[in-house]
Amino acid sequence: MIAIEQSVQTGGTRAAFLRRAAAAGGTLVAGGFVAGAFPGFVSAAASPAQDVRILNLTLTLEYLEEAFYAQALRAGKLTPALRRFAETAGAHERAHVQFLEKALGRKAIKRPTFDFRDTITNPKKFSKTAVLLEDTGVEAYNGQAANLTKPTLAAAAKIVSVEARHAGWIRAIRGDNPAPRATDRSLTADAILERVKRTGFITS
Amino acid sequence: MSDGLDFTLEELDCDGALQESLEGIGFSRSALLGTAVVGGGALLAAFGAAPAEAAIPANDTDILNYALTLEYLQAAFYTETERSGATRQTKMRRVPGQIGAVERAHVAAFRGVLGRKAVKRPFFNFRGVTEDADAFLRTAVAFEDLAVAAYKGQAPRLRSPQVLAAAISIHSVEARHAAWMRFLSGVLPAANAFDEGKSLGETVGIVNSTRFIVSNPNQTGRGSPRFTG
Repeated sequence: MIAIEQSVQTGGTRAAFLRRAAAAGGTLVAGGFVAGAFPGFVSAAASPAQDVRILNLTLTLEYLEEAFYAQALRAGKLTPALRRFAETAGAHERAHVQFLEKALGRKAIKRPTFDFRDTITNPKKFSKTAVLLEDTGVEAYNGQAANLTKPTLAAAAKIVSVEARHAGWIRAIRGDNPAPRATDRSLTADAILERVKRTGFITS
Repeated sequence: MSDGLDFTLEELDCDGALQESLEGIGFSRSALLGTAVVGGGALLAAFGAAPAEAAIPANDTDILNYALTLEYLQAAFYTETERSGATRQTKMRRVPGQIGAVERAHVAAFRGVLGRKAVKRPFFNFRGVTEDADAFLRTAVAFEDLAVAAYKGQAPRLRSPQVLAAAISIHSVEARHAAWMRFLSGVLPAANAFDEGKSLGETVGIVNSTRFIVSNPNQTGRGSPRFTG
């Protein structure tokens, strides 16, 4: 317990810890993205193998967000406020992807390909989609917090509040209440995957 | 990225009242020096499967009481600002009411979970920041960023999975508030790709530096304390 707490407090060892977790981990398929890539998702006790499955779930969401912002910026149809949001959030998502890829090493799931249709060219649809993706990120990390080993939780907690800041920011730009609930929802992996599937954004 | 707002609280002075109140509920000196414990929170009532008061590990009770103290502080700050009407003529007119309701819900939930073990509400003197819209906003940014860091610093220390699940879902609401207040201030709502946590010692030091928590409701400051509820 003491060793774990020390490692939680030593930022430099975070990645190493996660790499070790990944090396000890299960056999997540690195093929194309399908819900079936996460079989029998969460069991009771936290374990390095379970960390790998959970981090691959969140990596998938980070890939999705990163591609969404990058493609929207390339399309060049955003308002100045939305462009500033997409540039900033996009850079953060890229940093999250890099962090998770490094942590997972060979166990990292492959980057899917995406088709965002008119959500990257229509500013109204863009902001609505950004709300959905950022809320989903928050709900995915929150839903898995208690299933992670403590060192991985410490790292994930540094990411989830940034997703929540993005969620609050894009809602503020839209004129919506940035924090409409006293507690954020926690969704199961199945619910997250179902929601991602429903967007139809992932093509392979 | 520095935007000049991160040190709003730290620039103020300190009278050690929060530290006293924490020692009063059983925090050891070593804990207060930052070597152990504290800082999460939980809206367990929202989770159906809330453990009974007695079932919460002692470690988690201490952390919940610390979080409760921070929530008392935030709830009082927004409630008093709503009452003063300081933001009424501004674009923030609904903010104190909206965020205040959420922070009061967090207080009620913690008190419900902790029962007789809940720490008592301290007395506050906000020294004028609840009566001026600009000072209110600067303080709100600092409080919300601090709350995010305080919850994050302690989340991995929580032992009960239910308490952790609840605490982490409050943590992200504080982050939404932080982004919102920053947006209203015109600074970047999400300044970094990774938010760092703060230890108990760091958090208590910053809260103490505000002198917002006072040991006596009639203590004189710049103006009388108005929040007593």
